[in-house]
Amino acid sequence: MQTPFGKSSRILGWLYVVPALAFSLLFLLYPVVYNVINSLRTGQGISFGNFSELLHDPVFCLAFRNSILWVIVTTLIQMLFGFILAFVLENYARRFRVVLRTVLFLPMAVTPTVSAIVFGNIYAPQYGLLYGVFQSLGISDKFPTLLGDPHLATYAVQMVNIWQWLGFYVLMYSVGIASLDTEVLAAADVDGAFGWKRIRHVVWPMLRSTHWSLLVLGSIQALQQFPLIYLMTEGGPANTTQVLATYIFQKGFVENQMPFASAISVILLLLALLLAGLQLLATRGDFSIGGAKS
Amino acid sequence: MRRTSISGRTLAYVVLIVLTLFSVLPTVYMIDLSLRDPVQSFQPVLLAQHPILDNYRTVFNNPGFMKFFLNSAIVSILTVLLTLTVVILASFGLSRIKIRGHAFVFYLLIAGMMVPLAALIVPLTVSLKDMNLLNNYFGLIGPFTAIGTPFGMLVLKGAMDNFPRELEEAAVLDGATSIGVLWRVVLPTVVPSLLVVAIWQFLYSWNEFFLSLVVMTDNFMKTVPLLPLEFQGPYMTDPGALFAILTVISIVPMVVYVALQKWFVGGLMAGSVKG
Repeated sequence: MQTPFGKSSRILGWLYVVPALAFSLLFLLYPVVYNVINSLRTGQGISFGNFSELLHDPVFCLAFRNSILWVIVTTLIQMLFGFILAFVLENYARRFRVVLRTVLFLPMAVTPTVSAIVFGNIYAPQYGLLYGVFQSLGISDKFPTLLGDPHLATYAVQMVNIWQWLGFYVLMYSVGIASLDTEVLAAADVDGAFGWKRIRHVVWPMLRSTHWSLLVLGSIQALQQFPLIYLMTEGGPANTTQVLATYIFQKGFVENQMPFASAISVILLLLALLLAGLQLLATRGDFSIGGAKS
Repeated sequence: MRRTSISGRTLAYVVLIVLTLFSVLPTVYMIDLSLRDPVQSFQPVLLAQHPILDNYRTVFNNPGFMKFFLNSAIVSILTVLLTLTVVILASFGLSRIKIRGHAFVFYLLIAGMMVPLAALIVPLTVSLKDMNLLNNYFGLIGPFTAIGTPFGMLVLKGAMDNFPRELEEAAVLDGATSIGVLWRVVLPTVVPSLLVVAIWQFLYSWNEFFLSLVVMTDNFMKTVPLLPLEFQGPYMTDPGALFAILTVISIVPMVVYVALQKWFVGGLMAGSVKG
């Protein structure tokens, strides 16, 4: 395509891109390359030793499984409820939608350290808010120690993530719904597609690119979740809430085994690229945030 | 008017009320905990009976904590400015000048979005140490800018792509240089998108925890997300004061968002109508 800036600008124009490339190279690409090299360092020179050690490490396997679980549970729940809320706001509560959207988005502005401590208190036995609910229902003897229970702790922490991010999904779906083709919606009106039929056959399929974008963003966000787990359970009890991110921290910064931590990082990176790659392939690069399409 | 069944409408309102409460209650609970004396702190209720303000007095009498806010303000504001500069220049080069290989460079830049920070934390800390950037504001500002660039490019390049070619041609015929076109002609039309990027980047850098934890180990350099760690221990017997700190911490990003949300949502919507 012809631009008015002349031929020379296509070369000189590179100067505009240099700062962005410099930051990305220095703080994203170089660390990635360093990581790969560092992960191959073992006591006996360069080898895949750290990786084979990983496969035999039960905690790593647990962390890997939990990371996948985080991606599936948090992303899907956030998408489902984000969509439902956005649909309800746009169709049934238009008068209050701006206020409600803001209220729903607010947890997103709360520092994760704060939400970790607040939810720690909500889950606390004897004096927590949830305990109060159990008490008023007369079933306080059935109250589970959520963060101390190996089966429930992961989900209890995931709940905080869902609380924090739900508003973002509502917002993205609202933007998506607001930008739907009005002619198609008018045609749906004529055809008598309302309520469930409208959701199932008109609105949901039309939001395809929003779904995929949120799936990518949600997966990456879930994979890098660190503060909630670190502050609420420190990976416990018995490593049952450990994810790749917290295990990297433990190996690299607590136990000072940097090459081993690098190996876990490489696996985490590959997992993220695999998930994002699959999703981008499925949409053939139709990725959008709000209205910005690439 | 749209026809909807009564049961459908009822269901919609129930869902709306339940999820809104789910969204609001933890914050209400936090604020109420900050208004309790040590005895009431351990009552499992949403709202205490006798709210007090003493905890805020305790917090504001502790001089140390303002330093955290100053550090966070410096890091967040510089990150926002630097990210905007980097993203504006790159978007212009790729979208309007269309340098050779612009499509490839664009995908290269937004590929950074797929990299989870946790996977970079080890090498990033090592290289920041080599560059003498540990316990240095730029040890956070640099990586935050790099991490924010992909999202910024996606939003801003998208907005610049919609700029009409004719206006640009007219400016060039009038003798404007490329940087002049960017500054005076293109930039004023993408202000909503700039605000989206600025708000997003501010919330991100204000709230970031993981990198700050490993980069800012010196007490004088710590940022706000690390503040509760300092106070969690000492205030074990007096949770009211801890929750007063948490409330004070939350106020900044919440006020920023509420004050600017009109532009944040507007900017996202503006892109979508054109795109």
